[in-house]
Amino acid sequence: MPKVTFISPNGERTVLEPPAGLSLLDIARKYSIDIEGACEGSLACSTCHVIVDPEWFDSLDEATEDEEDMLDLAFGLTETSRLGCQIIVTDELDGITVTLPSETRNMLG
Amino acid sequence: MNMPIYLDYQATTPTDPRVLEVMWPYFGELYANPHSAEHAPGRAIEARVEEARTEIATLINAESREVVFTSGATEANNMAILGAGRFRASAPKSRTHVITLATEHKCVLESMLQLQREGLTLDILPVQPDGLVDLALLEQAITEDTALVSIMAANNEIGVLQPIAEIGALCQAKGAWFHTDAAQAFGKIPLDVATQHIDLMSISGHKVYGPKGIGALYVRRRPRIRLQPLFFGGGQERGLRSGTLPSPLCIGLGEAARIAAHDMTTDAKHLSHLRDRLLQQLQAGVPDLRINGAMAERLPHNLNLTFPGVDAQALLASVPELALSTGSACSSAAVDPSYVLAALGLSEADARSTIRLAIGRPTTADEVDRAAARLVSAVQSLRAARPAAE
Repeated sequence: MPKVTFISPNGERTVLEPPAGLSLLDIARKYSIDIEGACEGSLACSTCHVIVDPEWFDSLDEATEDEEDMLDLAFGLTETSRLGCQIIVTDELDGITVTLPSETRNMLG
Repeated sequence: MNMPIYLDYQATTPTDPRVLEVMWPYFGELYANPHSAEHAPGRAIEARVEEARTEIATLINAESREVVFTSGATEANNMAILGAGRFRASAPKSRTHVITLATEHKCVLESMLQLQREGLTLDILPVQPDGLVDLALLEQAITEDTALVSIMAANNEIGVLQPIAEIGALCQAKGAWFHTDAAQAFGKIPLDVATQHIDLMSISGHKVYGPKGIGALYVRRRPRIRLQPLFFGGGQERGLRSGTLPSPLCIGLGEAARIAAHDMTTDAKHLSHLRDRLLQQLQAGVPDLRINGAMAERLPHNLNLTFPGVDAQALLASVPELALSTGSACSSAAVDPSYVLAALGLSEADARSTIRLAIGRPTTADEVDRAAARLVSAVQSLRAARPAAE
């Protein structure tokens, strides 16, 4: 079971050991981490925006055009920003750390 | 009074009549908001604006989604430099170093200085005596910490063309983003964002026979270049530039790009022929004139000439039938001599004896001949009135 660390906007760290194969959004939901995920992972919003620790960013599969297009609309975007719904946490990502941005923008209204 | 002979096409160009014609209806009956997706008139205008965007993209080998409309090149330069610098400086893998050249346009230098005030490290590199970047010096200056390099495609005063593809390759090797201010180059010389490795490119409408008040910024999508926006609002233009698009102006810039794509080669041939004709006549009458900036790597329509010992302001005053300027319109109102000429190593006295001549698509051989004759006789009489000190 891979270890995943979520850091909240105020710096609080939560270390979890979810089963492998879930997305970061699924994991957040399962363990009541505060991520919105308005479109339920259908790549229609940017409300599950997470900032991946730079140490881990290059280990991830590259974002698709559709994900990049949604990220364009995210608040507080950084060079290691991703959508949590698109990152599947496998055993290879054991130890990954992500930070939640302080704001999200729900374009679904 | 006759209209003066216009020799200031780098300050601005007249709007091409073909461009005016396609714009008119969008100032009149076709007034709907291009962002009004809920009704047919809005959607029809949006479709026309998107066609214009495609014309602009095609001319630089980009995708239309990579073109963001702005109010002009000054805004595009600010958006690119401040947006990229701030984005990369605030990223977790932060890059906080930026590079530009001493001969860049004021709005590029001022945006860079603003980044410096915000805490980034700025290198303003000198140029060689011919106005071109020293590639070896640039290569040394770019590091793994370099966020952005901004170097113009064509200079607004001396018309020299920088080696864009080589600069782009140097930036790419170090992961630095490359912005080029192409206000003077777009539609005049071939530009290709793919082969020249350009990440951001600023475009101006009124320098390319389009309307004033419109420009564009090319923003690469693959790999994605991200900017911190300057404007916030309804999220138009991919969130980079909120605000209702001026549809008539966007459509005008699209038409100007379409015409430039078609006419660029013939325009360049026509202009370089007339430019050489103008230079030959001036050299015949004023053998000691000096050309500033590289002659081979140069826009086909520009000359920048020093007439030693002749005060440029007095020269302009004595030829009221010619419309030309001493430097760029943006700084010629100031009394300071050109910082671009100073960067080439010209003395203050020589810089004050220098004029810029820029011909354009409508210029005729007859205008060139008359202008050359007037300038030669004016230089000769100014020199006769005040014998040279040397």
